[in-house]
Amino acid sequence: MSTQTASTRDILTSPIFSNNPVAMQVLGVCSALAVSNSMQTALVMTLAVTFVLVFSNLIISTIRSLIPNSVRIIAQMTVIASLVIIVDMVLQDVAYELSRQLSVFVGLIITNCIIMGRAEAFAMKNPPHLAVVDAVGNAMGYGVILLGVAFVRELLGSGTLFGHEILKTVENGGWYLANEMFKLPPSAFFLIGLMIWSINVIQRKRG
Amino acid sequence: MAFKKDSFLGTMIFTVTLCLLCSFMITGTAELLKERKLVKKRDELKRNVLIAADVDIADKDFRAIFDKGVKPLLVTLETGDIATGSEVNVLDFDDKMAAINPETSVKLEKKQDKAKIKTRANQVRVFKVFGDNNQLEAVVMPIYGKGLWSMVYGYVALQPDFNTIENVVFYEHGETPGIGDFLNDSEWTDKWHGKQLFNEKGKVSFKVVKGGAKAGDVHGVDAVSGATMTGRGVQRAVQFWFGADGFETFLSKLKASEAK
Repeated sequence: MSTQTASTRDILTSPIFSNNPVAMQVLGVCSALAVSNSMQTALVMTLAVTFVLVFSNLIISTIRSLIPNSVRIIAQMTVIASLVIIVDMVLQDVAYELSRQLSVFVGLIITNCIIMGRAEAFAMKNPPHLAVVDAVGNAMGYGVILLGVAFVRELLGSGTLFGHEILKTVENGGWYLANEMFKLPPSAFFLIGLMIWSINVIQRKRG
Repeated sequence: MAFKKDSFLGTMIFTVTLCLLCSFMITGTAELLKERKLVKKRDELKRNVLIAADVDIADKDFRAIFDKGVKPLLVTLETGDIATGSEVNVLDFDDKMAAINPETSVKLEKKQDKAKIKTRANQVRVFKVFGDNNQLEAVVMPIYGKGLWSMVYGYVALQPDFNTIENVVFYEHGETPGIGDFLNDSEWTDKWHGKQLFNEKGKVSFKVVKGGAKAGDVHGVDAVSGATMTGRGVQRAVQFWFGADGFETFLSKLKASEAK
């Protein structure tokens, strides 16, 4: 890996588009499909993942020289799992209704490959400040996809954004006939597919 | 001696330390949130009791209404007596714990156990709700029983004749979404209003009627199609809790003391 020579700026920006964890590495797609049906859940999920990712990278990078090679994956899992439990507890306290909507997917952040992947591939080999930058970059990459998909799904599926009415639906006496397909997880597949395609096209044009 | 991380001892020390640190992190957070959780639990209780008693709490400070007009009591079911003493903290009484702790509960025989709850707490919380002129308006009593998948928890409020249902609220259940969750539908719970629990002989006659209760049926509430088991569970819970193993003794004592 050429991360030693990569600039801090590259570490931060490359995961947002050119090396996006969801679109380019196709990691963490499960949660991206499940919680992207409204902007609110997508935003909360992004924040939760950002918190876990930043702190897991920070902690693991700080203790990287102490982690025995034979138990390194378990050690990473322990740190990540503890952080996820904390996020879950705080979320239940602050926004109980939202935490019920997100149901198991907060707990499943533990198995989100983006977090494990960054811990193993980056935090184990780099100093803490770079690990945090990398975590923020990857969390933003995850968030861009999640919020992008949620934007389209909520707008076309329910005619709302963050619960505010944008397109008046027929049900409420308006003109817009809501497309129920966008409320269901498969639609996120199509949308993520379209995003992967467009990112590829743009990158190829740039050369 | 330098720390050899890849030796057996080093690995052990590292693992144990990491686990300890992580567990401190989690228990620390839990401890910080404990007080807030307790407050939330109390608020939830207060709100549910007031909804059950049909007190209008929309846009009002339900905590103040509760503190002013509701008297929580701890009732010993077997004798029907109210537990007294300053050490009794009724608001934070953990009824779920009391129901499974062998020291504070009784095991139910299969024949008795209509609600399928296996063990019943010796003491439960009952709430007397008073109106503006200090007259008794309702008595809110907790019930629970097994539906199709899960325990259904609720409160039933009786009017001062201790027979007519004022309102009912189901605050916790895990029945089938979209089918069994009519329990939370106010259109359905409104049908309970004015129904009578007991018949002339004093037996619990409340029923959830499949095919719909006939007009003028004072004991029956409509069942919901597709949710037979949930409805049956609710009916059995009511029959159990207002029967001989439930509030019967307490209600008859209460009736005698109110008549004085």
